[in-house]
Amino acid sequence: MTLLSASQPPSTAEPLAPPIVSVQNLQMVFQVPGGQTVALQDANLNIQKGEFISLIGPSGCGKTTLLRLLADLVQPTGGQILIAGQSPSAARKGRQYGYVFQAPALMEWRSVLANVMLPLQVMNVPGDRQARAREMLRLVGLDKFERNYPWQLSGGMQQRVSIARALAFDPPLLFMDEPFGALDEITREHLNLELLRLWRETGKTVIFVTHSIPEAVFLSTRVVVMTARPGKIEGIVDVDLPQPRSDDTRESPRFFEIATEIRELLKKGHA
Amino acid sequence: MTVTARLSAPRRLSPLGPLALAASLAGLLALCLLLARSAAPVSGLPWLLGVLALLLVGAYGVRWVAGGEGRAAHVLPAAFTLLLGVLAAEALLRAYAVPPGLIPTPGLVLQSLWAARTVLLQDTLYTFGLEGLLGFLLGTVAGLLLALVVVRNRFLELGLLPYAALFSSIPIVALAPVIVKAVGLEWPSKTLVVAVTVLFPVVIGAVRGLQSAQPMHLDLMHTYAATPAQTFREVRIPTALPFVFNALKVGSTLALISAIVAEFFGTDGHGLGFRIQIEVGRFNLSVVWAAIVLSSIVGIAFFGLINLLERRFVVTGRAP
Amino acid sequence: MTAAAAPRRSPLLPMLAVAVMAVLLYLPLMVWANYGPAARSLASGADLGCPSALACATQLRNPVLPSPGQLAGGFQALSLPPTSPLSAPYNAVVTGGETLLGLALAVVVGLGLAVLLVASRSFERSTLPWLVASQTVPIVAIAPMLAVLLGQYGVQGFLPKAIIAAFIAFFPVAVGMSRGLRSPDALQLDLMHTYSASSGQTFRLLRFPASLPYLFTALKVAATAALVGSIVAEISTISFSGLGKMLAENSRASDTIALWVIMVYGAVLGVALVGLIGLIERVATPWKART
Repeated sequence: MTLLSASQPPSTAEPLAPPIVSVQNLQMVFQVPGGQTVALQDANLNIQKGEFISLIGPSGCGKTTLLRLLADLVQPTGGQILIAGQSPSAARKGRQYGYVFQAPALMEWRSVLANVMLPLQVMNVPGDRQARAREMLRLVGLDKFERNYPWQLSGGMQQRVSIARALAFDPPLLFMDEPFGALDEITREHLNLELLRLWRETGKTVIFVTHSIPEAVFLSTRVVVMTARPGKIEGIVDVDLPQPRSDDTRESPRFFEIATEIRELLKKGHA
Repeated sequence: MTVTARLSAPRRLSPLGPLALAASLAGLLALCLLLARSAAPVSGLPWLLGVLALLLVGAYGVRWVAGGEGRAAHVLPAAFTLLLGVLAAEALLRAYAVPPGLIPTPGLVLQSLWAARTVLLQDTLYTFGLEGLLGFLLGTVAGLLLALVVVRNRFLELGLLPYAALFSSIPIVALAPVIVKAVGLEWPSKTLVVAVTVLFPVVIGAVRGLQSAQPMHLDLMHTYAATPAQTFREVRIPTALPFVFNALKVGSTLALISAIVAEFFGTDGHGLGFRIQIEVGRFNLSVVWAAIVLSSIVGIAFFGLINLLERRFVVTGRAP
Repeated sequence: MTAAAAPRRSPLLPMLAVAVMAVLLYLPLMVWANYGPAARSLASGADLGCPSALACATQLRNPVLPSPGQLAGGFQALSLPPTSPLSAPYNAVVTGGETLLGLALAVVVGLGLAVLLVASRSFERSTLPWLVASQTVPIVAIAPMLAVLLGQYGVQGFLPKAIIAAFIAFFPVAVGMSRGLRSPDALQLDLMHTYSASSGQTFRLLRFPASLPYLFTALKVAATAALVGSIVAEISTISFSGLGKMLAENSRASDTIALWVIMVYGAVLGVALVGLIGLIERVATPWKART
């Protein structure tokens, strides 16, 4: 079923827990030389635990800004955000999310294992940190590379390490900002499958920024379509494709229908 | 990988290469021995032509050695060039009967080096150990501390750094007499000159390094709710290390130069700079050359040490 | 908070504040340093024209640290008239000229060597290691000897200092230029290849322009070292002009104030040289982005 309303969750008969992420009337205005840029205007969004949400839109639509607002990397100029019932700042201090950037952002002076251990060291996580880091590397399939250094790994492998790092301290939320954007299509599709497997195995809530429609449809339970100038949520598309998804899903007619819907929404906002 | 044009393709199949090298080395050695035995020749010209011919043969041999791709092909050409150069110099200097007080032959230099070894070693310890190394350490520590202060205070950064750039343009030779006159003739004045000379590149390099942390790494630490101290330790310091080591490499060369030049302006009778100055005045140029050879070895060794330390502490994003 | 770009404040006010602080710190240090010698002088019965050691601290003829008043006086004495062969500005220009000539020589010879280094791999392998090693060697130690040698062979005056400056500057220039000549990436070289360009054309149209930024970077580094070489050469031989000659005279005479003045002129000369090279760089490489 497709919904165009911006804030209603899928209408089933289950009693709903409070949303893990709640965005109300969010606004972000940047001061630039010569005026203002409205990066995000009046955004409203509720995300339930366990969902896989994609934010998609052209550049300038505010999708990365929205993610950074959720992550307390920037302060909003209006509106409210609640993450697990707390402000983004409290959620950040409470280590409620892991962030994966557009580039792997690994520290070149640390080995792969040491990179995954970094958040555990900073957050002073008790227990056997090396074992935990190894487990994460095994999860992303890179356990054999724990002693290598980032420069020895391909871009795709580095991104996988970056994901392992984000999962290391077991946060309930995962924020991902176009993590596969710099990779070639084949690697990207492979990593999409990997990511879905991780999502299924860990039960985390994922908020994923992308500019690729097929990627958004393949990965998500719902797709938030955003448009630019000013940045706003144009609509939310429910993705009712069956789980677990495989490469065959990409070729199903329903996949094509949903992708078309999203494309139409994007064109509408662009006009 | 860039394509380099070659003057002509090296001919690997020919066995003449190593033969030519051996012949050239043997020939030059023979010339040297011949000249050593007899009195100074009437005319230097035939000897010059002989040496040039042998050098050409030797160059052919070196080119053959340089033609490969293995470890030997990278290291040997330079070694052989040095050997050929030294032998040719020895032969030519003898052939033209250049007074040894003016330009001593390599053999004479080695002899003087051995004969004066205790004095020269003492001088080296003085100049390199007391003045150069100690000054280097003082300048580095002071520079790093200053950089730490400057980086946390924008006002100081704007106010102090331009002066650092300015002061690093002061030629050492102008700074040295002022400090030597103020502090005295003994080694502390030279140590101070070295420390001041090393201080500025270290401050500039360390500040640049501390300020070049990648925004993404800083954001990452922010998402971990890391304390400023943690961010400093995990991100800023490792990012700054390559810059600091670059500055240390520059500083190592400057340290030795400053120590020697500072000695030109007054010492209490020790040091390589002092020795060079005195022996030039006495026209004992073989001792001067020996001192220069020693300072060169020390300079290369010091630089090499810093390089080794860099490889130990800095993991770059490139293949080593 | 993410790292935002700091607003660009003018450095003038902080620099002024730091300068004022430095002067305020210097004054007590100077009095403290001069007090000892002043007291000793008075105790030995010298007539310094001032009543006490404290008052004499700023009046010594050869102070350990000169007072701002003495410095100002020294500047005046040594700077006017500027065209006199005894004045510091005149001698600074002489030394600067020697260094510039040396740098020009270093560029010509360095360029030739760099071309050879790029053209022949065996030449590169036999010579480059020594060129690089020579940059870690205190070449300035050769300056006194070289100056005396050249004097013996009849080369005197302006030229030997320029030659020594050239010798010192030559190594970094040659290494830098050879790196620059080799800097064009494979794609650009392939492009010239598709035009069937001769190696001469490739050199003139691609390698040489690409090497200019490297040349100027190396020159700026070499300039200070070459300046030191010129001055050391002037000290080592009987020179009739130049900052080195002034340094040698005043060092022997222990005229501390003069030494400070010469130091400042030396610094100004060093900054001016590097600035001049930067100016030439702007004209020669207008395409380079300025940070």
